[in-house]
Amino acid sequence: MTRQEAELILLRIFGIAKFHDEQWTAIERVLKGERVLLIEKTGFGKSLCFQFPATVFKGITIIFSPLIALMRDQVKKLNAKGVSARCINSEQTPEENSQIISEAKTGQVKILYIAPERQENSEWVEATSQMNISMVVVDEAHCISVWGHDFRPAFRRIINLIKLLPKGLPVLATTATATQKVERDIAQQIGGSISTIRGNLMRDNFKLFVVKVASEEEKFIWLGQYLNKLPGSGILYTGTRFDTEIYSKWFEYLNISSTAYNAGLDTDSRIAIENGLMTNQWKCIISTNALGMGIDKPDIRFIIHSQIPQSPIHYYQEIGRAGRDGNSANIILFYNPEDRKLPEAFIEGGRPSLKKYEKVILAVKSDLLGEWDLMRVTNMKQNQIRVIKADLIEQGIIREVMIGKSKKYEFIPGSPSLNTKVFDELRNSKLNDLESMIQYVGTEESRMKFLCDYLGDNSDRQFNNCDNTGEQKIGVSVTPEWSEKLQSFRENYFPELEVESKNSNMSNGVAASYYGVSNVGAALHRSKYEGGGDYADFLLKLVLKAFRKKFGQEKFDLIVYVPPTSSGDLVKNFATKISQVLKFPISHNLQKIRKTDQQKIFENSLLKSDNVNGAFTFTAPDEINGKSVLLIDDIFDSGATIKEIGKILTNFGASKIVPIVIARTVGGDLV
Amino acid sequence: MIKEAAAYWIALAHLPKWGHLKINNLIIKFFHENKISIEEFFQLGEKDWRGIYQLDEKQIFDLNKAKLELPGNAFLAESLFSQGFEIIPITSQDYSKTLKTNLKATHAPAVLYIKGNGKILSEKSVAIVGSRDASETALEFTDNIAQLASKEFKVVVSGFAKGVDKKALDSAIFYKGQSVIVLPQGIMTFASGFKNYYKQIIDGDVLVLSTFFPKAPWRTELAMARNPIIYGLANEIYVAESSEKGGTWSGVMDGLKKNRSIFVRKPEPGEKNANNILIQKGAIPVDINGQRLSEVYNAPLFDVISLVQESDADFFASEIRSVFNGKPLSAKEVILKLKLDWTTQKMNNYLKKIDFIETIKEKKGNLFKLKEATDKTQPTLF
Repeated sequence: MTRQEAELILLRIFGIAKFHDEQWTAIERVLKGERVLLIEKTGFGKSLCFQFPATVFKGITIIFSPLIALMRDQVKKLNAKGVSARCINSEQTPEENSQIISEAKTGQVKILYIAPERQENSEWVEATSQMNISMVVVDEAHCISVWGHDFRPAFRRIINLIKLLPKGLPVLATTATATQKVERDIAQQIGGSISTIRGNLMRDNFKLFVVKVASEEEKFIWLGQYLNKLPGSGILYTGTRFDTEIYSKWFEYLNISSTAYNAGLDTDSRIAIENGLMTNQWKCIISTNALGMGIDKPDIRFIIHSQIPQSPIHYYQEIGRAGRDGNSANIILFYNPEDRKLPEAFIEGGRPSLKKYEKVILAVKSDLLGEWDLMRVTNMKQNQIRVIKADLIEQGIIREVMIGKSKKYEFIPGSPSLNTKVFDELRNSKLNDLESMIQYVGTEESRMKFLCDYLGDNSDRQFNNCDNTGEQKIGVSVTPEWSEKLQSFRENYFPELEVESKNSNMSNGVAASYYGVSNVGAALHRSKYEGGGDYADFLLKLVLKAFRKKFGQEKFDLIVYVPPTSSGDLVKNFATKISQVLKFPISHNLQKIRKTDQQKIFENSLLKSDNVNGAFTFTAPDEINGKSVLLIDDIFDSGATIKEIGKILTNFGASKIVPIVIARTVGGDLV
Repeated sequence: MIKEAAAYWIALAHLPKWGHLKINNLIIKFFHENKISIEEFFQLGEKDWRGIYQLDEKQIFDLNKAKLELPGNAFLAESLFSQGFEIIPITSQDYSKTLKTNLKATHAPAVLYIKGNGKILSEKSVAIVGSRDASETALEFTDNIAQLASKEFKVVVSGFAKGVDKKALDSAIFYKGQSVIVLPQGIMTFASGFKNYYKQIIDGDVLVLSTFFPKAPWRTELAMARNPIIYGLANEIYVAESSEKGGTWSGVMDGLKKNRSIFVRKPEPGEKNANNILIQKGAIPVDINGQRLSEVYNAPLFDVISLVQESDADFFASEIRSVFNGKPLSAKEVILKLKLDWTTQKMNNYLKKIDFIETIKEKKGNLFKLKEATDKTQPTLF
């Protein structure tokens, strides 16, 4: 097919008159059945390089993509153009996915998007042998490389798959962010005769700023002052999920339209937010940077980071979503020298101790175990188990197998022993990347050039689109008025306890504070573990304030408290005082029917849940039947105890159960 | 190297209705004679397939279809490898030499799917076979043979059916021996087995093997087709108990035809099974401990025949085969040798239909002889 012929089809189907030269280079190779790695910046039109050939090929094109939002978005657009596209993902029902698979088998689908994890699904694998597959695409191909910023173990299998594909079947791998090291790694892993096309990464519509601050307060205040003044809508990336919540409450307090988006949200909420983003429903979406927002929105006008990312690649990838329409976008990074501690802790603490690795290997050697079994057997947190599993799979020590529909891990006989040198290399490489990111903050040269150089785009161009090259520098002015505003917000902000579920009558409750964020944690610790007597009165005042904020003048029929494991009558006495102030009667009839261990010795919520399962009863059923209950405890961690009690009280007929606690810990392990 | 060709091997091994011989002949031609890889063979066009390989239109159609399935096979192969399965093509050094020697190009499958310790395939091996509802004595015999085999570091091959098969496996495990489970289904449909024998598999004591499409569910036909693989994988074959038809029976008959040494447990008087008939047919009688018995059972052949239904074509065919001694015979002579109560006309018609019998037209009437054994004319495979 000549370029001319291709462009006729292009116009007819996509309504675009011409390819640009680099696109055509890639497409020409793909049409010849070659393997191509395409590194081009966001907005280049990478998707066209596989979507166009897909419409020309006889059979189906399969696209592996890790970003469900992006899949949904592209499928919608292709279908609007009359190209039959579908996606299979974990957010659709199995029936929907099966339906799509059968359409693909009968040749009714031209372009099929799937997550790499789908390769674990036996229905999918079986169906592929009945599909006429014309091309395989790996989107976000940097996920293949451990040296990239977003290595995903599921991509390991995609590499193995590509090695097994017949010669002459076109394979296209695309990414917007790959250093030369990552580029070499991808090319080497895909192997064969892959050729690389690398474009320039310069985004000249960006205005890059770094705001150096000395405290968290300054970030809050600047955002409070200026967020609404920035043109258009955009994204605020924070370092933790906890921060998305705080910032969104802060903006809510200031009447700035915003919403928080993180991996803890359910699918429907995520889709609702993605749709809202597209229609500029909010000024700002607050999101964790761990979450890939693969959204093809042309007019994201600003991207702000309240926390420094781990590396310049992370940063380039995250800001890459702004200004796809070519119009100006503000790119702002806050930096407080303290901030490096978070990514540092992440890098240093990213790997569990060797002892834990050995524990997992030993467990897997003696039995075929699933993830939950492993958590139970080893008493480790889910995320630790996941890190260890991924490393052991990577090193060929264990493998993941499907037994029926469940994933199990088996030991590979004769496998090598654990290689910890790799971990050190990776750790050092990540620390170097972080160092480079901090250099970005400090550089007095062009920031865009700094990023392009880092990414291996050494083309020589003029860059004058940052606060070092002509744009005005941003500073923060902390006024007493704004300090007071922030202070008042903090005193009136109470974390929510999310406990609502379909199988109990629980409603979401409230905590007086986060544990460890203020002096609350220390006060609790003194009473609980240092013989400091009853909980301090200021805790009582704080809890009452939280109660009033959340429930106003609402009356409850009964106060019930969580019976102790080992800290005596602390909670009982505390609940009694609350009962006296609020004038709700207190009941002492929630009892333990067996001994439990302290929840804190269990590392994961699975074991925590086992520990309290069936441990409680209510000894005076008449007292609680049909009543609304305020359930009091001191610390809310995984929520396993509160949820278990909620279930029991529901069974005894309580009409509403609302938990209220002194402090909520940050970051339970199971999401 | 071979791993990367997995998609091609899956395509070739399961060409619909080709049969092992046709597939193996093709492998011999491209791999041994023309010295090209399977990838190269698939990349040849129809012209070369027709010209060099003299494939007919139907075969070319099948190959083209298989070629379209290559990407899908790659997805399947990736899934197999990631779960620890291996694909061993017949051209591989790891392919069981015992199986190749016993089954030859006519019956050897083009690929083996395995999981577990593949080195087991090069050990000396013993198959123990018998009914699903075997007697206590037969199970005791099975246990004895498995114990003996394990002691002598011989691998126990069995078919994972109830009764004798399961006993053979369990005993081999109990006596710390090694075993091969030959599956009557695709290897990816054996999840419960991989769970139950997890320890033995990772310790290298059990190998699971299948020759069918990895996702194929259990079917009677597969169970039947699996039997020759069990016999083929073994250096020695022990029969615990056989009825007069079914898998064990036809497997042994087939084995005897191929001149395999087959040891059959000599039954106690009064046992209701066909062990004695097998001994009569040339199997070697052994006692409950697997020791050879010297006595030879001398019942007249006539009795044996009358026991067998005519419909049991397999058995009858081997009877017919046994009367020919290299010299052409008339239908009447065959009837006399077999002491049958048939008319000459009936035997005449019958013999003409048998594919291993050649008809020689003489003035006095037809004579019959065995066709040249196909095995002999095979080029050496590999």
